Amino acid sequence: MISKTTPTGRLIHFLGSLNFALLLLGTIAIACAVATLFESRFDSKVAQVYIYKAPWFIFWLSFLCVNLFCVTLTRWPWQKKHIGFVITHYGIITLLAGAVIGSFFGFEGNVTLHTEKPPSNRLTTSRSVVQIQGPGNRPPVSIPFDAAAVRPSEKRPHSLRVPGTNWKIVASDYAPELMRDSYLETDLAGQPGVILKMTSSLAAQTLEIPLLLGEPATTETDLFGLAKIRWLPKLPENSTQWKQETQMVFTKFAPVIQSEGSGSGIPVLLSADGQALTVGSEMHARADLEGKEIKVGAAKIQLMAYWPDFAMQNGRPSTKSQEPNNPAALLRVKYPAASLQRELALEMTPSDSGVAYRLVRDGVVYTEGKALPGEEFGTGWMDWSVRVEEFQPAARIAGVTRKVGENEPATGIQGFWAYLDTGDGKTGEPRWIESGRFTTLAAGEQEVRVGYGLEVIQVPFTMKLLSFEVPRYEGTDTPANYISRIEFRDSQTGKIKVAEAKMNHPASWPGGVWAVTTGFNYKFSQAEWNPRDLGETILQVLYDPGWFLKWVGSLAICIGIGLMFYWKPKKA
Amino acid sequence: MRNIYRNDWILGGLFALFISGASLFAAVDYSALDAIPVQHEGRKKPFLVFAQENALMLSGKTVVPVGDRKIPADELLVRIWLEPQKWLDRPLLLVDYLPLKEAVGLDPAQKYFSYTKLMANSALQMRFASSGMRSGQSADSLTKKTNELRNRLVTFEGLANGSLYRVAATPTGTQWTALPSHQPEYVALKNAFGSGNAVRFLEAAQTFQRLLGSLSPEDQPASWKIGLEVFYQKWHPFRWAWILYAIGGIVLAATWKSAPALGYRIAWSMMLAGLSFQVLGFICRILIAGRPPVTNMYESVIWVAFGAVTFSLIFEAIYRSRIFLLAAAPVAVLSLILADSQPAALNPALSPLVAVLQSNFWLTTHVLTITLGYAAFLLALGVAHIGLIQVILGRKLSAELTHYLYRTLQVGVLLLAVGTILGAVWANYSWGRFWDWDPKETWALIALLVYLFILHGRIAGKWAGFGLAVGAVVGFLSIVMAWYGVNFVLGVGLHSYGFGSGGFGIALAFVGVELALVAVAVARRYQLCSSSV
Repeated sequence: MISKTTPTGRLIHFLGSLNFALLLLGTIAIACAVATLFESRFDSKVAQVYIYKAPWFIFWLSFLCVNLFCVTLTRWPWQKKHIGFVITHYGIITLLAGAVIGSFFGFEGNVTLHTEKPPSNRLTTSRSVVQIQGPGNRPPVSIPFDAAAVRPSEKRPHSLRVPGTNWKIVASDYAPELMRDSYLETDLAGQPGVILKMTSSLAAQTLEIPLLLGEPATTETDLFGLAKIRWLPKLPENSTQWKQETQMVFTKFAPVIQSEGSGSGIPVLLSADGQALTVGSEMHARADLEGKEIKVGAAKIQLMAYWPDFAMQNGRPSTKSQEPNNPAALLRVKYPAASLQRELALEMTPSDSGVAYRLVRDGVVYTEGKALPGEEFGTGWMDWSVRVEEFQPAARIAGVTRKVGENEPATGIQGFWAYLDTGDGKTGEPRWIESGRFTTLAAGEQEVRVGYGLEVIQVPFTMKLLSFEVPRYEGTDTPANYISRIEFRDSQTGKIKVAEAKMNHPASWPGGVWAVTTGFNYKFSQAEWNPRDLGETILQVLYDPGWFLKWVGSLAICIGIGLMFYWKPKKA
Repeated sequence: MRNIYRNDWILGGLFALFISGASLFAAVDYSALDAIPVQHEGRKKPFLVFAQENALMLSGKTVVPVGDRKIPADELLVRIWLEPQKWLDRPLLLVDYLPLKEAVGLDPAQKYFSYTKLMANSALQMRFASSGMRSGQSADSLTKKTNELRNRLVTFEGLANGSLYRVAATPTGTQWTALPSHQPEYVALKNAFGSGNAVRFLEAAQTFQRLLGSLSPEDQPASWKIGLEVFYQKWHPFRWAWILYAIGGIVLAATWKSAPALGYRIAWSMMLAGLSFQVLGFICRILIAGRPPVTNMYESVIWVAFGAVTFSLIFEAIYRSRIFLLAAAPVAVLSLILADSQPAALNPALSPLVAVLQSNFWLTTHVLTITLGYAAFLLALGVAHIGLIQVILGRKLSAELTHYLYRTLQVGVLLLAVGTILGAVWANYSWGRFWDWDPKETWALIALLVYLFILHGRIAGKWAGFGLAVGAVVGFLSIVMAWYGVNFVLGVGLHSYGFGSGGFGIALAFVGVELALVAVAVARRYQLCSSSV
């Protein structure tokens, strides 16, 4: 029994008191509830900044540890009946200690791998950094800085020292959403450029789209997946695009049709004896079709194979006999995508002092014309209309970054407002530093380049995606699993290991019992995929040296509660 | 051609008349096609189940009002299949969201609309075009409801053009196909249906089923599985369960004073019988889907009712007090009725799981444990209700009841703690992190903290039995938030596969009733205490 008469004893009894425990439990529960409402109203970043990862919350959790520890001291010397109680309370402390170690010495990140890209040793962590490239051609230096968490403002500016100098970068505002207004700048060495203003009152949107010949990124834009806008050196010939289809037709079963596009829609029937094929509305003797291509409308059809008594054997189509018991035929259909492909496009090219345009639906031009700057034309896609704002025969694209207005769509690009202070009383023009882009800040003659974004780190091994598979549920496109096969190679020893990351089965490097139990291990869990590019996979990476303590603490909590409630020691 | 049919019809009719005397006038038995396997949404299911899921999708009901008649799902789907053109103009598609009806100028008083009418509504079509761009989690309810209606129309199109009726196995792969309209089997069925002759339709349906079954026999689902699912769908084991629980509870309450021993015995057997029906239902679902029965809101509500009854029987076996049975019966009955009556919010369909849930080990350990924790707290809620009602009736809360309540809460705390930790360990494997304050995680933690607060407060002597009873009610509200609120109200976070909508009114009413009960009990106790002083 710890005496209540000494000051230390009184302190321990106070810190370990039930009243204090009730206060902690209640406030933590309320804070968490408020945080989830924040998250639902705003976003998870706000909840993290103000509650989960806020200093006061961490401080409060450490008080919880103190309370849990002190309460076990007040029961000293422990008796048998205290076993469950002590194990549970120390279990929680161990778990929280594991969490602290994990957040200080471990990291969470992700990596995008592609089957056609070379091995990589870079991971993107979830930590925001500022990269500063000072005067001279020094390599950029990374400094941890999360503008969303710090929230610099006019009243509370935040300074970042430029390495190797006594200059400062002063951040004085933060914006969760930034956008760039692009404009054309005359540049005699440049390419022809145009700025379009797209308006739709139905979608309540107005967009400015700058287009410049040259780089692919500036020549084609996707309008919300509704239509494509292309800026081309000249309008393309209206050449037909071909799509392929295979039809497996049976006498006794429904046909199996696989098409690249929406399908040719050409019905094919095989006669009961397998000797005749009706293609479209024409009947042909099968023998006539072999090795020949026939035309049905614009489509071309070819008989690829025929089986009189079809059966799958060893996973391959084959015939069991020469009797027409189950006749089957495989046909290949090539059909023009032009008539069936559902695509809207606006194609444009420079013409005199304006543009020549062509509106295309499903490969067919339905409107064409010319427009000078200031002129407007309708598109026929909902109520979208296009106005040619500006045309320059030789230009480059420049941009100004600004905050996203209230009724504008979110961009997901955050950033902070900052200027350069060179210490000699000179401060430069402030600018928005956007995430994912380098911005130059100048003061007088002096310049620094500042980048902002998630930190990219190098790991002592390389990762190469060997294959990525997405098995589906039968007859649907719904993924049933995601399977990435990754080859790891130790950069020093050259040791190679191939591992599979599946849903609920992460891949590990270096792996093995020791690394997995202690958490000194990189764990790769399937995170995201790209339905349009099945060669690409995004893996969540976890390196968590606190894992062992979390694990032990968790086990202790479960066992401890069980003992406390359901084990009564026999009285001696 | 017409003549031949006519003759056929008359001959068949006379023949049937001759045999049974009345079958010419007997209605066509649509259930003849119930057991045909259809490939739909990633698995093969009996036509009956396919029909009910699609009817629910189209009309929000499994028995659909058409004209002045209510027709069952299998009949509706057979008729759409065989004579689609007759359904284009019938008001069949549910549009119940008032702001959407107002926005596109549909009659606000009307609930069902025809496909043709909706497709001809240009304001609605414009809305479809623009709402497609704004889908995702951040979409407002009008956009969500618009997308929902579009899916409804797409489903109807798929049914009307026949492409959703994928009944034919193909010899080359896992993808089944619909029958082309010239396929002889389909034509024969259609003609039999057109004849309106019950006998002929039955024969055609049997022939049709045999023919389909002979296609790629190795790709056909086991017939016992299809039979089991038809049995499950027709017999509603969970409905029998709540009926038996209700009888048990009523008998127990009615005989509480007059014939306690007999009433107790009857209640025990009724509860056990109800439990067996639930077990039967779970076995069916496990065998059909091949996974533990807790993958969506519907299943978890039923599982929690099951857990509450199981815990009450275990406690009764130890304490023989009757209180646990009396507490469990009403909460289990209400939960099961809720699951039975709200198919739009609590969807009973057995759909394939999203990939992240594809792990029977973790589903069993994490989800079953945590929902059993909910079940223990539900039982505690029932016990607390008895306590609060005692107080309202002017009696003191017995020490016995306090002890039972404490015991029940302990079970819940242990299971909720273990379940939450198991969830964190699972997340460490599947999502690559142990704990990241996902709303579902956080609310599980909040619920745990609330109950720990209640238990620690009692140790500290802040409150006794009455406080525990109030705590068990308030604590359960945090469970409702963790269980229903995160998925249906907050709608953010990684547990998105459980997200849904609907039932908000019921949840709000529940919270209101519980808080009112607590308020009345507190007021009454205050009154009793002050009058005794």
